[in-house]
Amino acid sequence: MVIINVENVTKTFGTNTAVNDVSFEVEKGRIFGLLGPNGAGKTTTIRMINNILAPDTGQININGHVASPFTQKMIGYMPEERGLYKKMKVGEQLLYLTQLKGMKTSAAKKSIDFWLERFEASDWKKKELGELSKGMSQKIQFIATIAHDPDIYIFDEPFSGLDPINSETLKEVIIELKEQGKTILFSTHRMEQVEQMCDDICLFNKGKAVLQGKLREVKASFGKNTINLEFEGDGAFLDKLEDVRINNRSTNFAEIRVLNGQSMQEILKLAMEHAEIHRFERVQPSLNEIFISTVGEDNIKTVEA
Amino acid sequence: MDFNKILLVLKREYLTRVRTKSFILSTLLTPLAFLAFMAIIVVVTISDGEVTKTVGIYDETGVLYSRLVEIDSIRYQNVSQLEIDSIRADVLSGGIDGYVVLSDAFIETSESPTLVYGGSGGLSFIESVEDHLREVVREERLSRSQVSPEVREIFESRPQLKSVKLTEEGEEEDNAVFGAAFGFILGLLIFIGVFGYGALLMRGVIEEKTSRIVEVIASSIKPIELMLGKLFGILALAVTQFGVWIASYIGLSVIAAPVAGMIVNAQLQNLPEDAREAAANNAFDPSALEQFVVDPSIFLYFFLFFFIGFLIYAGIFAAIGSAVDSEQDTQQFMMPVMIPIFIGYFLNLRVMENPDSTVSVIASLFPLTAPINMISRIAATEVPFWQIGLSLLLMIGTFAGLMWLAAKIYRVGILMYGKKPSYKELAKWIRQG
Repeated sequence: MVIINVENVTKTFGTNTAVNDVSFEVEKGRIFGLLGPNGAGKTTTIRMINNILAPDTGQININGHVASPFTQKMIGYMPEERGLYKKMKVGEQLLYLTQLKGMKTSAAKKSIDFWLERFEASDWKKKELGELSKGMSQKIQFIATIAHDPDIYIFDEPFSGLDPINSETLKEVIIELKEQGKTILFSTHRMEQVEQMCDDICLFNKGKAVLQGKLREVKASFGKNTINLEFEGDGAFLDKLEDVRINNRSTNFAEIRVLNGQSMQEILKLAMEHAEIHRFERVQPSLNEIFISTVGEDNIKTVEA
Repeated sequence: MDFNKILLVLKREYLTRVRTKSFILSTLLTPLAFLAFMAIIVVVTISDGEVTKTVGIYDETGVLYSRLVEIDSIRYQNVSQLEIDSIRADVLSGGIDGYVVLSDAFIETSESPTLVYGGSGGLSFIESVEDHLREVVREERLSRSQVSPEVREIFESRPQLKSVKLTEEGEEEDNAVFGAAFGFILGLLIFIGVFGYGALLMRGVIEEKTSRIVEVIASSIKPIELMLGKLFGILALAVTQFGVWIASYIGLSVIAAPVAGMIVNAQLQNLPEDAREAAANNAFDPSALEQFVVDPSIFLYFFLFFFIGFLIYAGIFAAIGSAVDSEQDTQQFMMPVMIPIFIGYFLNLRVMENPDSTVSVIASLFPLTAPINMISRIAATEVPFWQIGLSLLLMIGTFAGLMWLAAKIYRVGILMYGKKPSYKELAKWIRQG
């Protein structure tokens, strides 16, 4: 069942078309990854799904309803730039934000207590947010996003700036929510997380959705055109290879994407002449490689920025 | 528009601020300051009459001293039998506060006598000695010239002006000076309220923006709902503070005169019998405090004009807050807000002096200055009802128009970060909305 339906949506700011005729669907109960370099239009799209911005043309449906204050209640949203009131007590703050999402006071209190307990944060309820450490306030931010028990969770770059422990906790929570049948959409440019977690992806570039589908199918469609090479010795020979792109290179490992029908056997031969080969494997490209080949190398730098 | 959500925002805005130390202190300390001010007036006037200074009179005329004793038997002492040197020594040692040598020349030629005093003189002390000497010299001259009792009476009579205000209900005692001053203070209070609480609202908007919580909130409610909730929350805060101030003013003004009367009487009882009468004459008249009691309906007008005045300006303050990332960046946009509100403030002096002039009437009708200037006029004079009505209508119209513009800037502004926008960009935001 489709729970988020983005249909031919366009959004312009002045002369800049941030989102250009984008369509995609998110299935209920799945984890959906929105990928793309900075400025590709991910955040604008997410804001339109949250009914913070309205599309110029096209339509967004949430659970069968056009995006509106009514559909806002179905969504828990954690923006990329996170923030809460610094001078407000944790408990009051969570209650306020949860009530704004339309939850009744008593149910809200119960849910907040549950999540505070779950994150081992019950002791902070009476503290002002400004007194908490960064890691602690990140936890409070998760709770603010999920306490009203919505069906859909949207996280914009959820892992950026998180400490490793919170990063792991968030991952667990996302998997847990999925197991409860909830739908999760998050944007990121960190591919390893997408590979670990996402069922479906949509890749954005320059305001357009350039690639989308089930993660497994997307990867399969690229074929086994990549070599994972493990070796010992001088890796300088890798630089002599033509018609390849080398990702993930280290002193004794390289992920080699073969381009333009370059023969893999030739590569193996060359490698054997220069180093001792421990592993030579034909695999599907990594998501990172798919990302780069789709977006184009020119955009790689902006990805890292 | 979802009123439950507006109410939630309003409640948060109000409750988090009403509990702050600074709000509680400023709300409670102001009436205390007012009370202290009234108490100081009373105490100063009372103690002024209480301290009796003594002046030695070296009387060469033989007639003036006895007249002075009639006026104040405690202050004036006859030192005519002493040498001038020993009188001076007496002044320096503090035995007496000063002395005057009175010669016939003062009676005959209008020459001025000299008061020689030690320690602190004090303006009112010197003035009263001057008054007394003038009086006795004049009386002595009159009696020497053997003028008729009729002429004497002419000199003794002191006609005063009594002012009575005519209203529909008939004549009533009125104090125009106090009314004007009171109107000025009410106008000032609206000026401070609109400006201070407007700035508070603006800082709140900036804070939500810089702390980035605004995007979380925008995913729950409409920007206009957030803005209205904040605006009315701050307004409720201001009304709370002014309410406390006005209630304590009404309370204090009602009890001021009776309490001061009691204090004055108690003070007089403590004085020795013979000093009591003199002190009572000089003492502060407690009934003067009765003029502080005002018709409470003025406060209804006050709240009405503050309410609408705040709404007119608050939308703009919120819009400015939404357009910038930090308080330093607000200055450029503050000018257009400051100009009309300061014009209102400066015109208020004119309104106080002449509440019925053309300038005053215009200032009290022009919607951006009306909140300040109309209340001053209502307190100071009888404003025709059509003018109050017209002023309110114009204000409400202005409020609606400005709020419409402000809401458009606000909804774009709260999600914009980075470069400070120009007026041109603001216009673009308005068109976008």
